[in-house]
Amino acid sequence: MHPELTVAAAPAAAGVTQRQPDAITVTGLRKGYGSVQAVRDVSFGVRSGEIVALLGPNGAGKTTTLEILEGFRARDGGAVAVLGLDPGDKAAARELRERTGLVLQDTAVEPYLTVRETVARQAGYYQAPRGVAEVISLAGLAGLERRKVRSLSGGQKRRLDLALGLIGDPELLYLDEPTTGFDPAARRGAWDLVRALRAGGTTILLTTHDMAEAQALADRVVLLSNGAVLAEGPPAGLGGRDKERARISFTLPPGVPLAGLPVPAVMRGGAAVIETASPTGELHRLTGWALQRDITLSGLTVDRPSLEDVYLRLTRDGVPSGAAERSPR
Amino acid sequence: MTAATLAGPRPRRRGRLGLVIHQVRYEQLSFWRNPQSAIFTFVFPVVFVALMGALFGTVGRSAYFGGLSALQYYVPTIAALCVLGSCYGQLAVALAARRQNGILKRVRATPLPAWAYFAGLLAHCVLVSLADIALIVGVGRLYGVPFPSQWPAIALTLVLGAASFCALGVAVASVISNAEAAPAVAQLVLFPLLFLSGTYMPIHSELLSQVTGWLPVRPFNEALTGPLARHAGTDWRHLAVLAGWGVIGALVAVRRFRWDPRPE
Repeated sequence: MHPELTVAAAPAAAGVTQRQPDAITVTGLRKGYGSVQAVRDVSFGVRSGEIVALLGPNGAGKTTTLEILEGFRARDGGAVAVLGLDPGDKAAARELRERTGLVLQDTAVEPYLTVRETVARQAGYYQAPRGVAEVISLAGLAGLERRKVRSLSGGQKRRLDLALGLIGDPELLYLDEPTTGFDPAARRGAWDLVRALRAGGTTILLTTHDMAEAQALADRVVLLSNGAVLAEGPPAGLGGRDKERARISFTLPPGVPLAGLPVPAVMRGGAAVIETASPTGELHRLTGWALQRDITLSGLTVDRPSLEDVYLRLTRDGVPSGAAERSPR
Repeated sequence: MTAATLAGPRPRRRGRLGLVIHQVRYEQLSFWRNPQSAIFTFVFPVVFVALMGALFGTVGRSAYFGGLSALQYYVPTIAALCVLGSCYGQLAVALAARRQNGILKRVRATPLPAWAYFAGLLAHCVLVSLADIALIVGVGRLYGVPFPSQWPAIALTLVLGAASFCALGVAVASVISNAEAAPAVAQLVLFPLLFLSGTYMPIHSELLSQVTGWLPVRPFNEALTGPLARHAGTDWRHLAVLAGWGVIGALVAVRRFRWDPRPE
């Protein structure tokens, strides 16, 4: 699905009733550990076939949210539906586990089994698993089938984890920081795999702190901080970064005071910086002024805040007051 | 769902028995490939019985060993020790470790029912115990201990003992929160109890025997000594005490067992 189309079709709020239920709807989710409120008010939706990234600093509530969706933790309040079922309902647990796959943050595999045995063992738990050999090769472990798990490298173990998440042929896949510890090539490979899965109709919810990963993979990003949603949208438009606050920067010409420029600017990192919502006009005024005076604006660039800039700005400024500092984990 | 899975007829899920056998198969593979578990479970008891045989093999029946020869005394107690090691000790340590490194959580995320996971573990432990006992009885035979004749009593005692000690092992793994502490805690409880229950040497204190008679180890020793060394039948009274401990262990395990390494 194209990101723009996704946006256009987005329901106004999570929990909007539809005939075809969303893969995930979360409304007003709350969860505390003792005095620490890990998740204070989280609402978002994931439509079938979408890749959504939960993004946020440590302690933002990403993993707690994910664990509630996975059925590992009970919520204190709010409504959650996963594939139309309530993960807090014990009676739905078996069906949900049959239809979802997950890759946890920590590598968890038995050391003395081979790669093939590990995958075949897990395959035996599902009603209609994918083929063992197929999943091993999808995860990039072809040729290592007979290797003992203990002799695999860290990255290979993570890929085995990924294979275990896929073997049940899930409709919905949770990936908790899936490429942590991957080298760049392996990471690209994992991204290609995730895109291929989505092309095959799998819905994917992943957590990451990696901006590049969110940018490369996600149709939409849900930015969490201190247990609440700060921003939500396609990565290109997150925090309105596609619409506002372009940044014009250049070296201040010798003999020109900051106040002498035709547009208001500030000094930042040794450069004059103009932050503006209408870069076309501002740039025209600036360059017109410079041409008239035969001044060279060296190092002139126009850019928009990167996803990382937006992330840092939002997580720094957008902290709800009285937010908990400590991560529950 | 991919097109491929929708195209063919859906493979049927394994039956309950099939699922347990599937579990046992991989538990066994894991177990036998781990040199540590294989050595501790097999080499130690065999060496112990062989040593006792070398030391006391020529000494006949004596009042010190309750009217049995030394080897007749040690074959059942070491057999009991093996069942303890492969059920209680093994499970307490392995489950605490599996929880800590997230393997249990991963199992919990699959449709495998909890009962099938534990049934697989129990069957695995019974198999290991069986192999252990066969080995010990075999070594005992080399030193002149006659083969036992009461096989049904031995089988019943073994299965009940294994189940009870598995339940206690899971209970200990449920109560311990970190894997590093598991071996120490498991052994700390067990080791004095083994001594006091007469596993390593006969206990002639009436009071001590009374007390340990209500704890789990001694009843199991007694229940195995009857059919293994005295050609006696099933020792119902001691098995009842053992089963009581099994129930206690199972209750603690059911109430306290956690799949997730992090506390709620």
